[in-house]
Amino acid sequence: MSTLVAVTLQINGVRHDIEIQPWRTLLEVLRETLGMTGTKRSCGEGQCGTCTVLIDGQAVNSCMYLAIEAQGKAIATIEGPPEGDAALQQIQRSFVAKGAVQCGFCTPGMVVATQALLSHNPDPCEDEIREALVGHLCRCTGYVQIVEAIQDAASQLANKGGE
Amino acid sequence: MSTLMKRLPKFEYLGPQSLAEVCGMIAGTTRDEVLLLAGGTDAILQMRRRERTPRRVVGLKGVAELDFVRGQDDGGLAFGAMTTLQTLVASPLVGQRHELLQAAAAQIGGNELRNVATVGGNIAGALPCADMSPALMTLGAKIKLVSERGERWLALEEFFPEFGRTLALEDEVLAEISVPKPAANSAGAYLKFHDRHSMDMTIVGVAAFVSWDSESRTFAEIRLAYANGAPTVFRAHRAEALLRGQALSEEGLEAVAETACAESSPRTSWRANGEYRLELIRALTKRAIRQAWEKAVRSKAVTSKETSR
Repeated sequence: MSTLVAVTLQINGVRHDIEIQPWRTLLEVLRETLGMTGTKRSCGEGQCGTCTVLIDGQAVNSCMYLAIEAQGKAIATIEGPPEGDAALQQIQRSFVAKGAVQCGFCTPGMVVATQALLSHNPDPCEDEIREALVGHLCRCTGYVQIVEAIQDAASQLANKGGE
Repeated sequence: MSTLMKRLPKFEYLGPQSLAEVCGMIAGTTRDEVLLLAGGTDAILQMRRRERTPRRVVGLKGVAELDFVRGQDDGGLAFGAMTTLQTLVASPLVGQRHELLQAAAAQIGGNELRNVATVGGNIAGALPCADMSPALMTLGAKIKLVSERGERWLALEEFFPEFGRTLALEDEVLAEISVPKPAANSAGAYLKFHDRHSMDMTIVGVAAFVSWDSESRTFAEIRLAYANGAPTVFRAHRAEALLRGQALSEEGLEAVAETACAESSPRTSWRANGEYRLELIRALTKRAIRQAWEKAVRSKAVTSKETSR
């Protein structure tokens, strides 16, 4: 169809040359065009945070972001770069260790938001953690374990940095 | 199909890199045909709900010249329409000159939204629930509209003639917002009532900005503006006038709150009914004025301590 537009997206350090319709959101392109289903779709209006990805290091809701506007930017998703990412992996280990995952649907968004938080603020206090996650809903855990997981990830990463 | 699964309506997308290009793209077009897309956190949802179905979308994210924060030589502040709310919240310059703007921006959404949503989008969307517009109105903000024909400045408080509409003509784009230097001993407060501490639409928002006359211990100036108090964001001029030149008093606050309610015409929606919103306007008006007054008085105390050192 003539409505397809060629775009280049840089996702987790990998270049993707694809053709998309300009009205597709970044979330739709990640999940449907590229098969990267780690990023979840839920509310579709920026309330729940499950679709969070990083654009140039900043957390954004990919359900409200046009894929075509993400060209030329560094997109990072829960899948992470092929070579692995120490912070991303540590955050995931901490979420598991602290019981911050129950059904797991909110987890990718929480983890990616945590990655953004810790990259800007490696040692956040509890208020800062809760403030950073204010746009994320979890129906299972009650958030306490999630906060603990983020505190754990921050201290683990700080220890590793000091080695 | 539920809204959340819905795709956006089909459109052609243009991604200009300069303001001149934007003006060229919208010259001779109509509002229904072309949508100017800023951060998109409102507009994309409006498209998903089919409230807007433009044939063409002009995305402004690539127009770098619309993304700046600049101190003016006269002590004022200017920023581009595409400045994100997060940039405002994080800007030391904005904090120094107009902390009220940070207070309002910080209450909008969470990080994910503030990283994308822009000041210009919040204003130009012309929604009554916009949080930046009341804060900016009380600071006496002016906005710059640019088209191929040239540019003009308007007072923000005159920008919204009716619900969902602005005075921008179809070939004009909101490019810049400018805020004058704050008066001595002045401070503001923005109080917003909403259900959840994130992403929730404002039920009522009250901005109060006051300057304090330290000699007479009265309000040298007081300005009030409201989100969701009427079909547009508006300034409550009659209410303000009651306190100008007066000292802070409980009776004065009551009278202002009463007049502010009389100037308001909040609607009933599933979020809140009109009477409830009026109650909020009454309570928050008093609280916002008191907070702004106390901050302004304290700022005087801080300044005189600093100069006596």
